[in-house]
Amino acid sequence: LSGGSWREKLAQRQVPMLAPALLVWGLLFALPLASFLVFSFWSVRARIMRPDFTLKNYAATFTDYGDVLAITLLTALAIAGVTSLIAYAFAYAIRFRAGRYGDFLLFATLIALFGGYLVKIYAWKSILGRDGIINGLLLWTGVIDEPLGVLIYSQGAVVVTLTYFLLPFAVLPIYGSMRSISDDLIEAARDLGATSFAAARDIVLPLSVRGLNVAFLFSFLISAGDYVTPRFVGGGASMMGHFIETQFSFGFNWPMGSAMSFTLLACSLLVVICFRFVLQRGLRR
Amino acid sequence: MRISPVASSLWSIFAIAVLLFMTLPLLLVVLFSFNASALTSFPLSGFTTGWYAKLFAHRSFWPALSNSLVVGFAVAAVSVCAGLLAAIGLARLESKAAHGALDVLCAPMMLPALVTGVALLSFFVRVVSVPLGLPTVVLGQLVVILPFVIAILYARLSGFDWSLIESAHDLGATPVVSFTSVMLPIIRPTLVGAALIAMSLSLDDFVITFFTIGSGNTLPTLVWGMARTALDPTINAIATLLLALSIGSTILALKLIDYRR
Repeated sequence: LSGGSWREKLAQRQVPMLAPALLVWGLLFALPLASFLVFSFWSVRARIMRPDFTLKNYAATFTDYGDVLAITLLTALAIAGVTSLIAYAFAYAIRFRAGRYGDFLLFATLIALFGGYLVKIYAWKSILGRDGIINGLLLWTGVIDEPLGVLIYSQGAVVVTLTYFLLPFAVLPIYGSMRSISDDLIEAARDLGATSFAAARDIVLPLSVRGLNVAFLFSFLISAGDYVTPRFVGGGASMMGHFIETQFSFGFNWPMGSAMSFTLLACSLLVVICFRFVLQRGLRR
Repeated sequence: MRISPVASSLWSIFAIAVLLFMTLPLLLVVLFSFNASALTSFPLSGFTTGWYAKLFAHRSFWPALSNSLVVGFAVAAVSVCAGLLAAIGLARLESKAAHGALDVLCAPMMLPALVTGVALLSFFVRVVSVPLGLPTVVLGQLVVILPFVIAILYARLSGFDWSLIESAHDLGATPVVSFTSVMLPIIRPTLVGAALIAMSLSLDDFVITFFTIGSGNTLPTLVWGMARTALDPTINAIATLLLALSIGSTILALKLIDYRR
């Protein structure tokens, strides 16, 4: 029996092997998302959802929540920008600058990936809060006499907290795309007189742009859709996620919540596509 | 590589700063779970295990812990079985097709959990009319955790030497025998690692659980209920337990999967 025909026989069995995963994807991801999209065109009368085909939920999203949507996208953009920048430099340090400490830094990053989403956000609430750790330290050391209220319940606190949460997720894909870049290539550039900055810009960056893309995409989408962080450290009514969640836990206006979700997704997608375009234009130059 | 001493120390300072930023907040959570004062702040006021005692006496703690573990085991078991089948299927596809299929299967990881959560809530309640509870939590978590498991297992299997299976086959082994006696021993560490990562992702999950559980609690939804009101060191205690569970299983998993690959 030749290897080739064995391969072919195996190849025919791929589809049933993928079936359970495709079933989960289709029945529990694609189908719920599709029916959720349908609900966004329904209407609500007397607190009950009724089949309909109306665009008024989308219209209301823009008129009632247009400003929140803009703030949400700008905040998510800031978070994704800061996170990608720090993550890129850190991944670069692990791969090219840390030498034998690289493995340790990578391990620490992988550990930081876990530890709990809520726990991490709660940690920042206790760090930034009025009775929190920073205020406690400053009062204790006599730098201030009154606790600072400005640390928490601001858009800045949301940016810091989500950057902290997303950083390990952003470092890993960037590091992954830098791993395969050969040291010889950079050595060669240096031998030909390139500064280490020029080598990083002209060799490392183009070869690791895929990882940077994934990091930006992930950080942007996750922070645009977050509602726990604004609730804990951002004073609540600042991000779209908060208002979407409210439609489900208190408002019982699911069609409205659905229209808000898809508007947010569509706008996020637009931003991500723009980012890719700008990044590619920038690299080609 | 030639780096000037100034640049080198600047890189060290930067790397240490990022490392501290990524790890210090969680260390503080652990520290304050053993601090006597009810205030989560400095100066420290003495060692206590009282917050743990208070937590263990909490009416909702034990049911939440048992729910978390039941869901975690179920999600780990199902996602590793379905994930292994999928990864084997993908590993036999042409690499380009496999990566395309993997991108599609991983799409749920990119969607904000809030959207996945509310979509599942409306689907379960309105479309299929099933009562919310632990089974719906398991199904919901599977949507986002299965892609992780597939990606981990595919990374291992894409480098698998299929000629081993061919040899077993040529020597007369049935597919089942060649799987259990050739493939399984080789990939067992990765399988256990993937199961542990699925478990810790499940223990961590808040958003999807929150929307699909109906009534009842897991540890994260219990933290949510407690943390919304005030800063309470009992939360630090429960957070430390979650941390120990998820980091413990992650470290074990990373030891089993060669994470540098």
